[in-house]
Amino acid sequence: MSYSSSLEKAISSIKKQTYLIQRSLNKRDLMSALKYASLMLAELRNPKLPPKQYYEIYTLIFDSLSNLSLYLIDNHPNHHHLADLYELVQYAGNVLPRLYLMITVGASYLQCPNPPRDEILKDMMEMCRAIQNPIRGLFIRYYLSQTTKQILIQKLKDDSDNDSNLEVSMNFNCQYIITNFIEMNKLWVRLQHQGPLRERKQRTKERKELQILVGSQLVALSEIIDDNFTIYKEKVLPVILEQITQCRDVIAQEYLFEILFQVFPDEFHLETLPLLLDAMLHLNPELSHDKLLWSLVERLNVFIVRQNEGLNAVDGMKEDNLFKIFWQFVSKLNEERPDLSLQQTIGLVKSLLNLSLKWYPESVENLDHSYELVLQKYQDLGDDPVPIDSECFLSDLILLKNIDIHEKDRTNTFLKLVSQSDSYRKLLSLQRLPLQQDIINELLDAFTMGFFGTNSEANASKEIINSKVQLEHILSMCEPIIKSRISLLTPKEGNNNITEDEAQDDDEQDETFIILDANQEKLAKFTHVIINSLNNSEILYTVEKQMECLLILKSWYYKGGSNIKYTYPSIITNFWKLIRKSNKLKSRLPKKKSYYDDVIKKLFKHISRCTNDLFNLCGNSYTDAIYKFNLQSASLADQLSLNEISYDFFSQAFTVFEESLSDSKTQFQSLVYMAQTLQKTRSLYKESYYDSLIVRCTLHGSKLLKKQDQCRAVYLCSHLWWATEISILGEEEGVTRNFHRDGKRVLECIQRSLRSADSIMDNVQSCELMIEIFNRCLYYFIHGDESENFLTIKYINGLIELIKTNLKNLRLEGDDEDLMIDTAVQQLSRTNISNSQFVQDIDDTLNPIFMGEDGSYIELSKLKGTPANVSSKISSAKMSNLIRIPIRHYNGTREYVMNQSEIDDRFKVINI
Amino acid sequence: MLLLTLSDAHIPDRSIDLPAKFKKLLSVPDKISQVILLGNCTRSSEFLNFVNQISPNVTIIRGEFDTAFPPIMASSKRANEKVRKDEIPINTIIRQGDFKIGCCSGYTIVPKNDPLSLLTLARQLDVDIMLWGGTHNVEAYTLEGKFFVNPGSCTGAFNTDWPVMGDLSDIDVSEKVDSKREEVMAVDKHALSKNDEKQEVGKAATDRTSEANNSDGVGKVLDDTEGNATNDKNNTKEEEPEITERDIDLSEFDINGSNVPSFCLLDIQGSVCTLYIYIFVNGDVKVDKVVYKKE
Repeated sequence: MSYSSSLEKAISSIKKQTYLIQRSLNKRDLMSALKYASLMLAELRNPKLPPKQYYEIYTLIFDSLSNLSLYLIDNHPNHHHLADLYELVQYAGNVLPRLYLMITVGASYLQCPNPPRDEILKDMMEMCRAIQNPIRGLFIRYYLSQTTKQILIQKLKDDSDNDSNLEVSMNFNCQYIITNFIEMNKLWVRLQHQGPLRERKQRTKERKELQILVGSQLVALSEIIDDNFTIYKEKVLPVILEQITQCRDVIAQEYLFEILFQVFPDEFHLETLPLLLDAMLHLNPELSHDKLLWSLVERLNVFIVRQNEGLNAVDGMKEDNLFKIFWQFVSKLNEERPDLSLQQTIGLVKSLLNLSLKWYPESVENLDHSYELVLQKYQDLGDDPVPIDSECFLSDLILLKNIDIHEKDRTNTFLKLVSQSDSYRKLLSLQRLPLQQDIINELLDAFTMGFFGTNSEANASKEIINSKVQLEHILSMCEPIIKSRISLLTPKEGNNNITEDEAQDDDEQDETFIILDANQEKLAKFTHVIINSLNNSEILYTVEKQMECLLILKSWYYKGGSNIKYTYPSIITNFWKLIRKSNKLKSRLPKKKSYYDDVIKKLFKHISRCTNDLFNLCGNSYTDAIYKFNLQSASLADQLSLNEISYDFFSQAFTVFEESLSDSKTQFQSLVYMAQTLQKTRSLYKESYYDSLIVRCTLHGSKLLKKQDQCRAVYLCSHLWWATEISILGEEEGVTRNFHRDGKRVLECIQRSLRSADSIMDNVQSCELMIEIFNRCLYYFIHGDESENFLTIKYINGLIELIKTNLKNLRLEGDDEDLMIDTAVQQLSRTNISNSQFVQDIDDTLNPIFMGEDGSYIELSKLKGTPANVSSKISSAKMSNLIRIPIRHYNGTREYVMNQSEIDDRFKVINI
Repeated sequence: MLLLTLSDAHIPDRSIDLPAKFKKLLSVPDKISQVILLGNCTRSSEFLNFVNQISPNVTIIRGEFDTAFPPIMASSKRANEKVRKDEIPINTIIRQGDFKIGCCSGYTIVPKNDPLSLLTLARQLDVDIMLWGGTHNVEAYTLEGKFFVNPGSCTGAFNTDWPVMGDLSDIDVSEKVDSKREEVMAVDKHALSKNDEKQEVGKAATDRTSEANNSDGVGKVLDDTEGNATNDKNNTKEEEPEITERDIDLSEFDINGSNVPSFCLLDIQGSVCTLYIYIFVNGDVKVDKVVYKKE
């Protein structure tokens, strides 16, 4: 009776014995068959086999013994009596083969009619005690449970007609399996302590491989118990829990709890929570409670999800404060175990959040209490910094990562947490600044996505802010972002945050550049998110409340110092919107006219305050935009016929222009923009506001630094005396008779601008400007009627003569160079004949140049799709190329006039 | 050859983002060869990154809220070098197919949005197609053989201009001239003589806009006097519960100045330019097509 030296040999030996057993049985030679079986079973005595290999030969042997068992049952009692055989096999030489044979025969006997069932079962169990080697013991007990499983179930069926018998049976069965389970667990735990210490790791690995054998006993139990909660609660669970807690083994405790949660119905867990949680308090301190708790919560969440989906109403369990039970568990654990790491506490609290979000989706209180636990733990750590590797767990906890909730609910939850949970905000505020900023950024993204509804309307978040206090809370959370500074230095050098005194003058002094700051961009978007969401609020929907909320936003953003140049524009926009909205409401609610008039005035004042703040905090880098905010506010006020407010904003714009816009290019475009804005106003005609403004504007135009800017600004300002139609007012060219027009002033502007053009030394520029003026005259010419009295045909023709003379002189200037260029072009085309694109693109010059609205040189690219090279100065252009600018412009204008004269007789008098 | 024109995004100052459906439409790499931003598109790094993904060939035109120089993206590694880039131009010209395309944001065009002024600029730049922005209202027409295209605001951003259409009752009537309105942008027939070439292709777009504002629009404008009359009736009925702010539902378009998000795509093949106008109305994208041929 010995075993093979290797797995391969063992397998072939088992196969051989199996064959011999079968052959003997075919010959009805049972004694030989038992002998071969005994030989085969000797393989299971091999102490060197690791669990996996042991399991492999066990399954082979199991199959072989099953066949033997079938034979035994079939031939009982005709050829043998199993009671006799049961006695007989006890004489087998070796203990392990003997026990396997006993169980095989015993189990076969139990499947036959009227066996002494309880005695045999007990006897087999008793006999198994003989095997104290952990692996062999586990397998023989596993064999016992496998072979008796059906018998136990049958026993219940047999007794099912009598209640008291059934109870006895059930008790017996449970007791039977539990006994086996306890013994198996003991063997399994003992395995850990066998062999030398250095093989501990190996032992742990082997134990993990064997765990399923122990777990199978709990599976068997759950199958026997089925839905009998009483026996589970009274007889089964307490014993199992006692075994689990008493074994004091981490692997066993973790695994068995896990299996316990999985194999028994979730309803059972709900009903026995105090028992479970109490047992969990008494586990090995090295065990990770957070994982166990998470498993349990997940299991219970399955229950509530099923309940919510199902038709049956949620039973009493929900009202019982399930959360409270768990919360008490976690806080007790925290109390008793001050050694728990922050990470473990986070893990436990995550389970609380997971539970509360599923069972009590409305409750902010629960979440607040949960975060409070982490906060306490965090504060207990005192000055010790949080280890970096724990930070990610904290940030995951704050951002509800890995918790399975709908995206929309997540956003809602964030909003609730931020606005209503003090411990949540506190916890966030205790984090390292960069981490805090990352988290806030993610929160802002979630809000923006949630409310903007990038998905569909249905997915858009419904949660809203219902009080100003909540808004304050959200903004206080955003403070690190509000104050954050974009650092152009590498992160190591630059301090991401600012102190109060730094805030004043750390800004980039370069007024032409703006640095885009993604953080501030998020805040600006957030303004819209907040205000949009207020429209759905029951309390804060009114214009007045929204205005107050904007003021709250404004005062928080103000803390960002010069950052307001990123955030205030969104505030101003929303003030503007509220103005339009109030005006609409005013017309619908005539009774409240004075109320809305008052609100509108307040709103304009707030805008004015914003532009002042911007002016004071952002310095020169932002004046052009401030100037334009004033103009657009003026325009809006004008549309509401608030002429005094409009006038004030225009005046404010002038002040900014005069005091702070120094760069000549900036001045030119600002001034033209003012002319454009003024030209569309209608309410300022009263009190001669309009006249004083347009005169001031034109005067500024005539005083610009560069003559060409003066010239262009003034001819554009001529339009200020020539109102054109605004469709919404019902105005129409040719129909409307009372346009605000003064041809005499138009002519004055044109003449003033022509004088500037004429006085420019650069002949190309001078000539180009005259052609532009000529085109401006054509604009008025087309409008006809009264303009004819001022911009007469004689005047226009005179201008044409002047231009022609100048062009002639220009041509003379350019002649020499022209020749040179032509030769150069010819040479180039000869050498690059293959490059047809290139040749084709050379029309008359190398790079045609045009002049833009602001006098910039636009040098066309030869390549398609490539934008032109635009510059205010031209460095290397040949004179002849520049000369072509006015020539081309004149030719284009001439062509236009000639085309028009074919269809419009009025043009015929233009002598071009 | 596809050329995308976006204008007046005003992100993040006035709007959060493009409609998601627009973004989805435009997220097709390597299809669009060039993007032109016609003003007020430079304040958002997120938006600029998005545009750069559409095509690396991006031309920026200066709008009233753009700075003279392109913004520095804080994320870019070279941010601290402060490389002097070229100024953002007020005008530029691009060659594409047989066309020369002029671009301006329109904030230095006086009078604003005036077809004759735009025509003057188109002559000065000697271009066949004139792209402009600043009005937040999509428009396209031909005038004197030239093609004028305004893609509107790609976000439908708020605009301080006079609304294109809307409820007249909140505008001071005293300054208003009594006359009948016919079209959104009435053509000065008198001035443009018999051969009126200006086609109102943009009208389809603006008409749809008016559908979006159920209560307001051209019809409402025409029926203004009636509207006031009903208001008066309401006031006389004392027993009716008083209407409060809560009961009045104002559409976002009314407040923004009747703008819906829109953009234009120009497909240029030789001497033919096919213009696709995309409009976002009531949660859906509508497309219009106009063909312009160079004579």
